[in-house]
Amino acid sequence: MPAFPTYGPEEIGALNKVAGAVLGVFDKRGYTRLEPAILQPAQIFVDRSGEEIRRRTFELTDPSGRELCLRPDLTIPTCKWQVESGGAYPARLCYHGLAFRHAPGAGEFYQAGAELLGLADRAAGDVEMMSLTAEALRAAGLTEFDMIVGDLGLFATLVDALDVPAQWRGRLKRNFWRSGYFEALLARMVAGGTNEAQRAVDALHGLKLMDLKPAIEALIDKEGDAPLGGRTREEIVERLTIQASDGAAPRLDADVAEMITAFLKVSGPGEAALEDIRTLTKPVAAKMVKPLAAMAERLRALKGLGIPPERIRFVAHFGRNLEYYTGFVFEFWARAGEVAGGGRYDTLLESLGAPRGTTAIGCAIRTERLVKARGL
Amino acid sequence: MEPVTLAIPSKGRLKEQVDACFAKAGVALKQIAGARGYRATVEGHPGIDVMLLSSSEIASSLAGGDVHLGITGEDLIREAAPELEGRVALLKPLGFGYADVVVAVPRSWVDVSTMADLDDICAAYAHKHRKRLRIATKYTQLTRAFFAHAGISDYRIVPSAGATEGAPTAGTAEAIVDITTTGATLKANGLKILDDGVILKSQATLAMSLAAEWDTDMRAAAAALVGRFGATLPS
Repeated sequence: MPAFPTYGPEEIGALNKVAGAVLGVFDKRGYTRLEPAILQPAQIFVDRSGEEIRRRTFELTDPSGRELCLRPDLTIPTCKWQVESGGAYPARLCYHGLAFRHAPGAGEFYQAGAELLGLADRAAGDVEMMSLTAEALRAAGLTEFDMIVGDLGLFATLVDALDVPAQWRGRLKRNFWRSGYFEALLARMVAGGTNEAQRAVDALHGLKLMDLKPAIEALIDKEGDAPLGGRTREEIVERLTIQASDGAAPRLDADVAEMITAFLKVSGPGEAALEDIRTLTKPVAAKMVKPLAAMAERLRALKGLGIPPERIRFVAHFGRNLEYYTGFVFEFWARAGEVAGGGRYDTLLESLGAPRGTTAIGCAIRTERLVKARGL
Repeated sequence: MEPVTLAIPSKGRLKEQVDACFAKAGVALKQIAGARGYRATVEGHPGIDVMLLSSSEIASSLAGGDVHLGITGEDLIREAAPELEGRVALLKPLGFGYADVVVAVPRSWVDVSTMADLDDICAAYAHKHRKRLRIATKYTQLTRAFFAHAGISDYRIVPSAGATEGAPTAGTAEAIVDITTTGATLKANGLKILDDGVILKSQATLAMSLAAEWDTDMRAAAAALVGRFGATLPS
């Protein structure tokens, strides 16, 4: 495809046909169509999207100086509409339109998407979204596809279950999808190491919990009238307290690091991969039972949808670089490439002002790729 | 033959240092009458046309191919041309105009001394305050690349035109990326450099634009000039 194509009647016809089939399935399953504005305030995306999306967003300034952007996805405006319209939950919303992301030689693409918001039963939501996506792809004429599935929740549970210094848990969870960087991080944690802040922690070592706070406050006061940035003293006290509780010079146990590394390498046909994880994480089996059972349940559901198990690959490190995903994630692949993807993002709605704990799962279908994939 | 354009700083400390550097290399500049001091020629190098521009303009002109050669800070060149390859060739560091581009945070953050700490803080800040931690800088590109390399994504860049070091005190940003030579200005503003927060050790650099139009004659003229500074053109 040329970099900036003009679609002629034939291409428009093919795209409309595929989009019509996908939207037809969404409509039949009770999803209401929205049409978010293409031009959006930049801030809402900047504050919520991952670096990968932000780097690729087209930002612009209007004549009055407002920071705008061409929507890099339609999920955020769709969720924002739901929160602001004050509609009831669960809500089922969908869309089809252009999204804009900078890429070499390209900048825009069509996507159809569906969002299931506020359904408390997560397992039911996972199944509904997988089945909706599969049905939409089939209705559009794609009968042969492979799947990749993963679950960010599995890794988070593992890190919480393992003996990891409390101050490093977040760091591991945040960075697990950055291959290369993550391995280096793990190695640093095993090696230990000291730095300026470590000296602050050492100074606090051996103090009783009740003496920690005044000691940390004294450290801050020693810096005189240095600014706090937007942080509060309480935040600094809280973080140093956690670090001090981990003891002097925390280290990550080599066995623990090894288990994490082995876990992230697991990749293969669904059932077998889950068995690998069960074996691998035996020392913390009790904690892993629930999320592993949830994953097994999803694999069973996929079998029920007529997707053969050998076409479903479970990849432990699969996390999608979008940052707002929090749990189950999936992709559908045709021979020509990825045609659909989606997952659970249970914290986005709350960040937009919805009640605490409002769940969300969604999918996005690349309709132009679907047109190509059908032609093969 | 089209002249080879060489851009050098038009004002400030860097201009004085460049003048001294030319004198040391025995290269004499001659102002062009009527050009208000913004154009000059080089004695003994008739194919060279000298333009006096601001330091940042030199960097963007090199990146955009508007001049052939230029002398300016490596920090500015790397900021103007994030992926250097194919756009600008750094020919020779000139040994003056030293400055480090660094990540600096408030000294009262006694729990922060590394980029990994900053990563923790950024995530906690986004979670707690429901907005991203702000980094004030004029080095948008260098900051993005360095933060991505350090695995940090929960932050937001606030473009700063000047007096960046005052941003945390003014409340317009939490931390900064800026240049420093002695660290005194940062210290006076209650900031400290992270242990692993040096993004670039910069100095004034003679550079060649690969995006500009070149032919054999022009390359020969340029090679003769840069040779006076002990530099050679890339093949």
